[in-house]
Amino acid sequence: MNIKIDFNSSWKEGLLKKWEDDGPWSSWELYKLALEAENKRMIHEFFGLVAPTYLPNLHIFPHQLEVAKKVIEDMNGKAILADEVGLGKTIEAGLILKEYMIRGLVKKALILVPASLVSQWALELSQKFYIPAVPQRKTYVWEQCDVVVASIDTAKRNPHREIVLKQAYDLIIIDEAHKLKNKKTKNYEFIQSLKKKFCLLLTATPVQNKLEEIFNLVSLLKPGHLGDEESFDINFRSTTRSPKNEEKLKELVNKVMVRNRREDTGIEWTKRIVKTITIPFTTEEQELYDAITGLKDEALNEKEAIIKSHFSLITLQREVCSSREAAFSTLKNMTEKLACTPQLIEKFQLIFKKIEQVKTNSKAEKALELIQTINDKVIIFTEYRATQLYLQWFLNQHGISSVPFRGGFKRGKKDWMKQLFRDRAQVLIATEAGGEGINLQFCHHIINYDLPWNPMRIEQRIGRIHRLGQEKDVHIYNFATENTIEQHILTLLYDKIQLFERVVGELDDILSKLELTNIEEHISDILANSQSEGEIKVKMNHLSELIKLTEGVPERNAAGHS
Amino acid sequence: MQQDIHNYLERYFLANDSPILENSNGFLHVQLSIALDKLLMNRPFYWHYLEKTGGIPNPMQISFITDQQKCGENRKGEHIHFGSPRLHQIFQSTQQLGAYIRLFEEIPSSENKMSTALHPWLCLNVKISYQCDRMKDIFISLGLNLIAGEVKQNFHQLLLQKTLSPKIPDYCFTLSPLITLKSGFNRLETIIRKIIADDNHQWALDAYCRWQNDLRLLETFYEELEEKPESYYLEVAALQEQYEPKITVKIINGGIFYLLAS
Repeated sequence: MNIKIDFNSSWKEGLLKKWEDDGPWSSWELYKLALEAENKRMIHEFFGLVAPTYLPNLHIFPHQLEVAKKVIEDMNGKAILADEVGLGKTIEAGLILKEYMIRGLVKKALILVPASLVSQWALELSQKFYIPAVPQRKTYVWEQCDVVVASIDTAKRNPHREIVLKQAYDLIIIDEAHKLKNKKTKNYEFIQSLKKKFCLLLTATPVQNKLEEIFNLVSLLKPGHLGDEESFDINFRSTTRSPKNEEKLKELVNKVMVRNRREDTGIEWTKRIVKTITIPFTTEEQELYDAITGLKDEALNEKEAIIKSHFSLITLQREVCSSREAAFSTLKNMTEKLACTPQLIEKFQLIFKKIEQVKTNSKAEKALELIQTINDKVIIFTEYRATQLYLQWFLNQHGISSVPFRGGFKRGKKDWMKQLFRDRAQVLIATEAGGEGINLQFCHHIINYDLPWNPMRIEQRIGRIHRLGQEKDVHIYNFATENTIEQHILTLLYDKIQLFERVVGELDDILSKLELTNIEEHISDILANSQSEGEIKVKMNHLSELIKLTEGVPERNAAGHS
Repeated sequence: MQQDIHNYLERYFLANDSPILENSNGFLHVQLSIALDKLLMNRPFYWHYLEKTGGIPNPMQISFITDQQKCGENRKGEHIHFGSPRLHQIFQSTQQLGAYIRLFEEIPSSENKMSTALHPWLCLNVKISYQCDRMKDIFISLGLNLIAGEVKQNFHQLLLQKTLSPKIPDYCFTLSPLITLKSGFNRLETIIRKIIADDNHQWALDAYCRWQNDLRLLETFYEELEEKPESYYLEVAALQEQYEPKITVKIINGGIFYLLAS
């Protein structure tokens, strides 16, 4: 076999010049030191990982080492890293990048992550891996820096796009890669046109819905691995969702994907201690809640209904359970949109009056009491911005410092808020799980002030603090107001499917098997279209039975276990 | 490991005229020489300014912690370990500082009253890297006698057993090379190429297979298309980048050694 040999001859020129000039020559000691340095850095085997010896201060878990080794040796550096949330995909990707850099196989690397995670990635790579990763903030960075962290939304836009497409990358890492499942999107097309030698796609939820999503993801990485579209259809598709030749597909996918589950890692996780706190409304609060619930019946009788759909009623009910402020802003919007007949105005006035009569927020009082007893960092999650503002004011009145956190915050502001929370404030009040990936392991108390209906969002919330690196048990407090729709939800999520105690990722699995990806809609549907409390209970029971049933099925979904 | 690094640093600073102000267990405090400050501290503006104004140079001092447990928690300094950027930088600097050498074999003058001839040898220490989607390095050290043309392997090991000096010892004289340096270098290059050719290159065959495999998959993916899109050509080029076997040869260091005839 004829292999190209690149014989570097610049050294020779130097020698001839020294010979001619009769020096100056190095000392024997420096000469030996140079050789020893080079020998220390030499890599004697094609196989195995040398990166860990370069990272003595990094705690690497066995499953992470194994992933890195597998990706490099069995998958030739092109892989989907699909460990469950909280198992350290960042560490795995960092290890692979480091290994390639030490071996000189990667010099130029691009790391595309959600905007909110850019600085965190850059920080982790430089602090944990000694990789000088630069967060892209200026245009020249693309060309002049070797390892760049950027958001895909920035990279795909001009003037960046043009420059980025010109670069030849040795390695591209894409975080939250499940967003690339649709090949018709600009993002997909952009990633496809990047020049890349090695590529890592990171996602915790690789197979959510449809078969073509996994096809698209794999084809981005390794076109043809699952055949072309037509042959893929013939070989594997029976319906959109359930594949045929499942074993064969699984085998193929597992050649490019690694997925660890918590239970596989053998790591002892700290406990989740869940406490449900039901809170009775004050008389005024209950009256307000009942008045809003009453709107439903009136709507059936009259043509000029205030509540046009059952869903907006549910929204209002949920809001009242959170705070009067949250309900107020929605109601106010409604009045502005409706044609105001005298009867309507009267009805609204009645409700506004009830809102005014509410003097205390029972949940907030309870939260305050709890925070004071905990006497440590606490994260409060609420669904509503009005509640968030109110809570911040309320806690402040009682001498408790808090910082707000929203998904919509810019990258820098998120970092700033996280830092404030760590160093100064006792409480962080978040409306969103804060987007993916923000790590708050230094905190171990979460209050679910109101519950999202999508269980995955709860997973994400808890996952912010219950992850690798959390050394203490995690306390989760769930608030629910008595005799309201919140209680139905709580019964379902807490009593029936024991959501909160579940380890991260399990539910993910169950839901994808159930094909119940939009469980939130499902629940709303039950609540909106049931005529009585009894009917709601029956349907909710049915749903929880369904979930429990799936749980018992040992088999994993198509691209499951590796 | 950490002790090795400690010893290495000690030798490195001494060899670079940078006095060690404190050397205790797990801790080193060093006064950098001007040359080393310029090389390691990355402050070109300071040195530029100083040279322009003719001020008194004030090279920095640095502290290194090679073992925090041994030196105690209170010690402050740069933590240094294998893989730390500073050690990497120091390693890197030696390539420049220790690239070319000329030495003479020392003979105890008591034993040597007659004039003795020293033979010129050209030595090359070489790193050969095999690279595809994986890689490994091979080290060889060769010496070529520039009079007789004899070649020795593991030449550096041999040198380590001798006493060598930058100055020609008393009563010794050097023989002029019959083979010029240039053709000597070329001879060694030929030998290196021969060593490579004789090696087992299963790794390259395997990489070639992986490459062809991926190419085949790629072909099936775009099979149906008469006119291949841009992404096809990108991918073809990327696969070549990824898998194509390559060998690079880099001279780490080397030079002329005048040795006694053995």
